[in-house]
Amino acid sequence: MDKSVLELRNLCKSFGALTVTNDLSFTVEPGEIHALIGPNGAGKTTLIQQIYGAVQPDSGQVFLNGREITGLGVPERVQAGIGRSFQISNVLMDFTVLENAIVAEQARLGQSFRFLRPAFSDKSLKAGASKILSRVGLEDRAMQPASDLAHGERRMLELALALATAPKVLLLDEPMAGAGLEESQRMTEIIDQLRGQVAILLIEHDMDAVFRLADRITVLVEGAIIATGTADDISNSSAVQAAYLGSA
Amino acid sequence: MSGIRNLIGLVYEGVKDNRLLWLLIIGFALFPIITHFADLPFWNDVAMRIMLLGMAAMGLNLVLGYGGMVSFGHAAFIGIGAYCAGISQFYGITNGWVHLGFSIITCGFAGLVIGYLALRTSGIYFIMITLAFAQMLFFLFVSLEAFGGDDGMSIDRAEFGFIDLYDPLRLYFLIWIALVVVGMGLMFIVRSRFGVTLRAIKSNASRVEAMGLSPLRFKIVGYVISAVVCGIAGTLFASWQEYVSPDIMHWTRSGELMIIIILGGLGTLAGPLLGAIVFLLLEECLPLLLGAAAPAYAENWMILFGPLLIMVVMFGRGGLIGLLSQLQVRRNARSDHRGP
Repeated sequence: MDKSVLELRNLCKSFGALTVTNDLSFTVEPGEIHALIGPNGAGKTTLIQQIYGAVQPDSGQVFLNGREITGLGVPERVQAGIGRSFQISNVLMDFTVLENAIVAEQARLGQSFRFLRPAFSDKSLKAGASKILSRVGLEDRAMQPASDLAHGERRMLELALALATAPKVLLLDEPMAGAGLEESQRMTEIIDQLRGQVAILLIEHDMDAVFRLADRITVLVEGAIIATGTADDISNSSAVQAAYLGSA
Repeated sequence: MSGIRNLIGLVYEGVKDNRLLWLLIIGFALFPIITHFADLPFWNDVAMRIMLLGMAAMGLNLVLGYGGMVSFGHAAFIGIGAYCAGISQFYGITNGWVHLGFSIITCGFAGLVIGYLALRTSGIYFIMITLAFAQMLFFLFVSLEAFGGDDGMSIDRAEFGFIDLYDPLRLYFLIWIALVVVGMGLMFIVRSRFGVTLRAIKSNASRVEAMGLSPLRFKIVGYVISAVVCGIAGTLFASWQEYVSPDIMHWTRSGELMIIIILGGLGTLAGPLLGAIVFLLLEECLPLLLGAAAPAYAENWMILFGPLLIMVVMFGRGGLIGLLSQLQVRRNARSDHRGP
């Protein structure tokens, strides 16, 4: 490993007197699935937001493939190679599944400022969009309005849209949230298949999924890292048990 | 050569997908024949007004219906367009093409400035800021005594080269051609990659951002285009009225445009034009009808007008276009039912 895909250096963020990110440093290595766990209010989503660019840190730096991206806004970071799914499914509800993918495909190609040819009937865009959908197995739902999809399918679509931008690192914010057992298993399989193709930072409360998927786990409590290691390291760590696993 | 053939193919497809819009536009082309034989030249005037307001509403619909930006200040662009004609004439420039060029540049610039500032906000703040800009411009023109201030100024119809607008029907068809150009342009924009992105932003701006696009840039470009369309309508409006005053950009006009769009069908190509037809015909006909039924109340026709509009908006979700498609669905269902 020469270079980390994502590196955070001494990130700090406070909202008033509340410190949500406390001098936090860690890396995501190429191809790994790195899970970020911690009790509610530990600052996981705020951390994701700072990596994504929606929230600016008070101090500290964010690097993507060794290039500093701290000052950039969201669209620039996505173009640089950060993809994400949201805690609450975030797709284009007024569009069909295929149309969702077409918008993502034309965005990836940098063709969104074109005014002449109709987009939804464009053959090459459609082909690219179908490819996007096939990565998560949604090809047969292409003509359905996104609002008609079941919850789990909508999460799949969101994952597909996040992958469509060809990210270097994918931030998944609770991809299993609200999903049934079967849906969770399916999502776990799909994320598992992505291992090696794209580095993933995974926030998840479903511990079965986390322990099955994660190459490394980082435990966040009150904005600071209390442990990083493999699944075994984490489940055997007394600090983690005291702060987190035991508290349930 | 194949480029031209491709373009014709695209136009054909677009027209096929938007039959109602082009039927209405063809209807406007044929309308003067009816008025000629029925000897009702006054109705040509009504039709011109409908086309002009319909055009402006189509422009506003790009941001309101497709982009989800509730601009309450688009009358300002109509006014700027009208004053571009008025002020040009004041300084002795009578060429209508110059007026149009002047109007397109000025409205584009005004749209850019207002859009750039206002589009940083959303929801109720955006509505209020666009209204505030429109009111600022309104009072600016009220205060410009050189151009008639509050009273406005009379102008001649512009000169469009060989087209003499004082010949009967020349202005009518100039407006009609502008309507065709605007209709065609918007049809392409709405279906294009840009238009699709604009609709995606309305649907879910944060997802579009997550695709690596900056929603603000698309919204500003959409805002500028819609401002320019309203400006063109305003410039022609000035020639039609032969008169320009701040009244043309009164805030109630912005409201009128919004009602026309909602009445016709938000975010549809034909909706604003259909809305303009129904809105202005009601405005013309209700006083006559009420006058015939109860002459004493003819002046109070708005008592009927208001509830009628409210009913269409309440029961026809998606406006008149929504009502039409509901009817279509029902008819299809019935014929399926009968089946062989």
